[in-house]
Amino acid sequence: MAARRVALKAIDWVAFAERVPPNQRGMFNALKTRSDAIAAKLASLPEAPAAIDWSYYRSAVARIGMVDEFEKKFKALQIPAPVDTQTSTIDAQEAEATKSALVYTEACKARIAQYEKELDKLKNMIPFDEMTIEDLNDTFPETKLDKVKYPYWPHKPIADL
Amino acid sequence: MTQFNLISPINICNAWWLIHPPTVMASCGLVQASRCLHTSSQSLAPVPPLPEKPGKVRHGLIPEEFFQLLYPKTGVTGPYMLGTGLAIYMLSKEIYIINSSTLVALTVGSFFIYGVKKFGPSIAEFADKLNEEKVAKVQEVKDLAVAGLAQAIDREKKEQWRVEGRSLLFDAKRNNVAALLETNHRERLHMVTNEVKKRLDYQIALQNLHRQMEQEHMVNWVEKSVISSITPQQEKESIAKCITDLKALARNTQAKATA
Repeated sequence: MAARRVALKAIDWVAFAERVPPNQRGMFNALKTRSDAIAAKLASLPEAPAAIDWSYYRSAVARIGMVDEFEKKFKALQIPAPVDTQTSTIDAQEAEATKSALVYTEACKARIAQYEKELDKLKNMIPFDEMTIEDLNDTFPETKLDKVKYPYWPHKPIADL
Repeated sequence: MTQFNLISPINICNAWWLIHPPTVMASCGLVQASRCLHTSSQSLAPVPPLPEKPGKVRHGLIPEEFFQLLYPKTGVTGPYMLGTGLAIYMLSKEIYIINSSTLVALTVGSFFIYGVKKFGPSIAEFADKLNEEKVAKVQEVKDLAVAGLAQAIDREKKEQWRVEGRSLLFDAKRNNVAALLETNHRERLHMVTNEVKKRLDYQIALQNLHRQMEQEHMVNWVEKSVISSITPQQEKESIAKCITDLKALARNTQAKATA
């Protein structure tokens, strides 16, 4: 028969579970149950089938030559290994995921840089006690009163007070 | 927000000092000096903050610097002597005339001073509290912003770490595929073996069945021929013999039972 192929890599499901974000937990659980079922099925099958006791059959079966013929054909039989169609797809998916992950990481880094800049600005600003209105408008542009749009005091819609 | 300090109502002298810097003092030696404008040709930037407390004044009117000015020459009592002398001079020379306005001034002045002394501190506290509330509100906004940003940065870092684990998913998928292939292959092997075994067992079972049927048939046939060979005469004789045997057996058992 065909040779043994032990290509299974040990997967740390605990570490995997940690990395899954909460909104994809359902998908992860489905994957895990599927994988467990497949692995259980594999484990339940013995590696090689039980050997046939040819000598017993040769003595038991009356028809001469039948057992010999069976034995010859049986030994000559080759079961081809099943063709692997999915691994290439998975590899392609992985490459694509790596690419998109790179893009996402870049975006993440940009966002982090922006947040850090804001954080630095807030940390290094002058204390409120020592600010003037101009300083406040510089640090927090949203406090600037639009004197062109609302020329009369209080320079903002009454509803916003 | 502009600095809002409730300072003593009469503080004209402080303003005077700002406009006319003391030339006698060294560099910026005011009694309360945190904001010295125009003392040197250098311009201060950023402009230092407004002072928290107003300049020191004695008796609510006269700045402390005046007393310091006169101290080297006339000692502690100098300014008082000057004040008394001036007052007496103005009264005696009738430069200042006492009339009804003086009484009014004294009365109003005393009420005014009483009012300020009694209610001044509490009003100052109230105004300070208003200011504090404003500052606290804005501070809270700032703190929330800082905390929110820190949290956002942490979240982004966590997401990046999550993304790093994507290889696990693909490993799991590949494992599944390999396991399925392996299972399929083994199933096929098992199926072949089982089928061959089934066929051989079938042959053996068939043989056994044949033999069994032949045996049964032969036994039946022998029995039939034996039964048919028994003649009626032989039958009667054998039945009579059986009865005598039975009687003898009964007598024997009876004897055994009584003995």
